[in-house]
Amino acid sequence: MAGRRAALKAIDWVAFAERVPPNQRAMFNALKTRSDALSARLAALPEKPPTIDWAHYKAAVAKAGMVDEFQSKFSALKVPEPKDTQTAKIDAQEAEAAKSTAEYVQASKARIAQYEQQLQKLKSMIPFEQMTLEDLHEAFPETKLDKEKYPFWPHKPIADL
Amino acid sequence: VLHVTRPLHTTQQSLAPLPPLPEKGGEVRHGLIPEEFFQFLYPKTGVTGPYMLGTGLLLYLLSKEIYVVNHESIAAICILSVIIYGVKRFGSDVAAFADKLNEEKVAKASAVKNKAIKDLETAIEMEKKEQWRVEGRGYLFDAKRNNVAMVLETNYRERLLMVYNEVKKRLDYQVAMQNLKRQKEQDHMIQWVEKNVIQSITPQQQKESIAKCILDLKALSKSAQAAV
Repeated sequence: MAGRRAALKAIDWVAFAERVPPNQRAMFNALKTRSDALSARLAALPEKPPTIDWAHYKAAVAKAGMVDEFQSKFSALKVPEPKDTQTAKIDAQEAEAAKSTAEYVQASKARIAQYEQQLQKLKSMIPFEQMTLEDLHEAFPETKLDKEKYPFWPHKPIADL
Repeated sequence: VLHVTRPLHTTQQSLAPLPPLPEKGGEVRHGLIPEEFFQFLYPKTGVTGPYMLGTGLLLYLLSKEIYVVNHESIAAICILSVIIYGVKRFGSDVAAFADKLNEEKVAKASAVKNKAIKDLETAIEMEKKEQWRVEGRGYLFDAKRNNVAMVLETNYRERLLMVYNEVKKRLDYQVAMQNLKRQKEQDHMIQWVEKNVIQSITPQQQKESIAKCILDLKALSKSAQAAV
């Protein structure tokens, strides 16, 4: 009996739903419906089956040792618990997910650092009224005209004008 | 001749950002003469100083014939008056137009810069949100484990229930069998008794019982008539 009641953790579906990104919503809904169906099935079954009234049967059945035999066999019977094969796999999946999550968070932090850097550069720029053309090229390198590649005016392909 | 080897714009001063453009252009009086000239003479000669200087100088030049009046003078007078009229009438409009051109350039650049800033900020927000989302992965695995536990539990309960049902079915079958047999025996016995009784009624007994019935009926009918 000990292994049976592996405690069902209460899941906060609302909080879970908040964290699902929109492109995975269908999977989340499928999981939720499956979980709900399973819990409905579980709730429909009684925890213990009703006990058999041995005394009544002993009085009713004429054949002598039959009821006693049934009773002894019934109480000696042990229903085997179904084996749990999946939990190990799930734990493995979780460990793997933790690893990939850590990587993703790392990459994400690097990206954030990059963005912050650019933001800083943009915010600390001198105002346009006080810039010379060289200052502009420094701040926005893409405005610089490439005089080596296009030596003749207008120093950029005609299509870009 | 400028020696090109001499370096220019290398001191610290040239690297500083430019001072911003002045808000307004230089002030002029009467369209031609800069205001600085009047300010320059004000401490010594007051407000009328520059006018006196101008008038006196002009009269001196004319009277002493240092400046000779000829055809060019008329042309000069006309041209100067047109210039002054033009400056006074259209000066501010032209200045506003030039300012607008500059404004547009600056506005375009600022728009690009602001958009870039906003995009970066949104991107940072999104990244943080994604990180927060990822933290919720525990829910998923809990849900999976719960599902597995539920399936196992359901299975176990189903098995228990099945055992109970089977045993009960067998016991009930025995009891039902017995009852059925009992009933059949009873019915059979009743039928057999009835058959025997009917067989034992001989024709003589039958005639006697019919005669007795008729007598009884006659007696009853007599009493009945009397009652009515």
